[in-house]
Amino acid sequence: MLEKSTKLHDKFWEIFSKQDRSKIEEFKLYMDKFAINFNLYKDGNFIEQSLPFDVIPRIISKEEFSKIEKGLQQRVHALNLFLEDLYTDAKIVKAGIVPQEFVEQASGYLKKFVGFSPSKKIRTHINGIDLVKDSSNDQWVILEDNLRVPSGSSYPLSIRDTYRKIYPDFFEQMKIDPIKNYPKIIANAMNYVSTGGINVVLTPGRYNSAYYEHSYLAEKSGALLVRPHELTVVDKKVYFKSYNGKLLRVGSVYRRLDDEFMDPKFFNPESLIGVPGIVEAYLAGNVALLNAIGNGVADDKGIYYFVPKMIKYYLGEEPILKNAPTYLPYFKEDMDYIFNNMAKLVIKDVAEAGGYGVLFGHEMSAIQIADLKTIIKANPRRFIAQELIEFYDEKCYINKDLKDRKADFRAYVVAADDIKVWNCGLTRYALEEGNYLVNSSQGGGFKDTWVMEL
Amino acid sequence: MSMHITGNVATNLYWLGRYLERTAITLREISATYDKVIDIDKQAGVKLYEKFDIELKYTNAYDFLKQAMFGDHNANILHFLTNARENAIICRHILDSEAFGEIIELYALFFTTNKNHLEIDYKLIDHAQSLIGEIWNARSMRDHRELSDSFFRIGKIIEEADYRIRFHEEADKEIIESIYKEVESLYAGLVKDHEKAPQFLKVEGKTQDDRLTALNAIIDKIIIG
Repeated sequence: MLEKSTKLHDKFWEIFSKQDRSKIEEFKLYMDKFAINFNLYKDGNFIEQSLPFDVIPRIISKEEFSKIEKGLQQRVHALNLFLEDLYTDAKIVKAGIVPQEFVEQASGYLKKFVGFSPSKKIRTHINGIDLVKDSSNDQWVILEDNLRVPSGSSYPLSIRDTYRKIYPDFFEQMKIDPIKNYPKIIANAMNYVSTGGINVVLTPGRYNSAYYEHSYLAEKSGALLVRPHELTVVDKKVYFKSYNGKLLRVGSVYRRLDDEFMDPKFFNPESLIGVPGIVEAYLAGNVALLNAIGNGVADDKGIYYFVPKMIKYYLGEEPILKNAPTYLPYFKEDMDYIFNNMAKLVIKDVAEAGGYGVLFGHEMSAIQIADLKTIIKANPRRFIAQELIEFYDEKCYINKDLKDRKADFRAYVVAADDIKVWNCGLTRYALEEGNYLVNSSQGGGFKDTWVMEL
Repeated sequence: MSMHITGNVATNLYWLGRYLERTAITLREISATYDKVIDIDKQAGVKLYEKFDIELKYTNAYDFLKQAMFGDHNANILHFLTNARENAIICRHILDSEAFGEIIELYALFFTTNKNHLEIDYKLIDHAQSLIGEIWNARSMRDHRELSDSFFRIGKIIEEADYRIRFHEEADKEIIESIYKEVESLYAGLVKDHEKAPQFLKVEGKTQDDRLTALNAIIDKIIIG
């Protein structure tokens, strides 16, 4: 189902009708020429591929975006307070709002970090919050909080420049927010929490799925791109190893490695990647890590259920943006509801990401549902269930024809001296009709997102 | 010298310069030899590849182009460009974006030609040479990346020196001397921030192998670790 057309959409289609559509091919040529890739491992092979791009942008009015912005600022503020509280006083647990057992069973909760507070008490520096627009009530709904290493911002950033060159009419005739400021917002976040020294983007290396993005954001934000072994720790301080043998003090690390790969001395001695000693430097307050270690607990799909309660608890406010209606089999009454309504719910494994571990009740056979109930009963903490949201489709130009496809929206929210929401984002769409999974790792494509007015 | 770079990036910039120059030189040689193979000296291609220690077999001038560029041997152009592409991807964050795009395009040109069995003729060489020219031009237009540029440049000229020592040492004596001076000048810039700047050792030696070894060891003094 498509969202009702607005004057902004009408204007877009009016301009689009006058454009030379053969030029759409130039986007793919551009992405190939500049190796704008999202890499995958398939059957043990490394595959470099460009993400499918759709020329029809998602259009959001400035007025509507302003509400999204306020809701996201509120949410990320509360999530940051939650993490800081959880790893220090744990008042929210003591108050019985989030069950202790629930926290401790979250795989992203790192007990060893209890008592540590990072630079400026900021933990959720660079976040990707996934939303969809519910067609039943026209409201934006939060689907997921990504507070560890969310990726994707480089794709709309890269494509926007090309869009302006290929089809300047849209930008001449409509007031579309410019978006180039995002790397500066990231640089500001790195500078704000820096403990003194240079900024670096830490990449696992050239064969990571998002290496293009690591490289792009390092270049545009002015940070140096490093692999783990190009950093060294001396006396609990982190240094960049220059080609000439000199060491330069590092103050901020925008790391694109998961917690467990950050430091083999601290996490996994068997790990071949990571920076030995970096956690010790971090705990000594000698380096800032963006995002903080231990954030995984807050973007756990089970903890997501409690975010509206966090907003009320920490900020005394009603959530501006709602969660999708969610049930935790951990609670008896929710378990009963889930078991009685399995066929209409979406069941998610909290340990999975990227569209994996998502089961749609309406697609399952009676035997599969019975099996799943058994699994849920055995480990209720491992799952959540959500009402299936019929979110809006977006028009897509596929095979020279306009088609409707499900699309979500990842907003990028950056916390520093204040919380900024980037006035763009990653709109992801499913390539097949009726598919609700839009993740890039599930083969989804992306669109530009235009925050605009007439 | 305003930017800091890691040893890995410096190494990749250096090899990017080398592989691009190696491609340019080899294409020049192929182009000149192709002309001879047509109707002057059918064996010219065989003689050229003997210098690379490669036994090249071909049936006619077109086949010479195919075997020279895509044959199963170490001087295969696609092999050079696969390496150049990898070098470029690793250091793309400090490469000029146009230069980066041209490198990917250059690789894609040869990759697609080979994969799709497209017709191979002199136009492929012309196109490739024009792209390489654009890459060096894009490099020279930059004004704030002197350090990365120096590694890229020193790779290029060391490759040229290597080629000239290997194949035209006597005839190109003066040119080789002028390349050494340029290498020395770049070297001085690249080691000036070292804790203990290693002294530049002249490329000398009794045998050609000694001189080549000395030339190729220069980079090891610049990049530490």
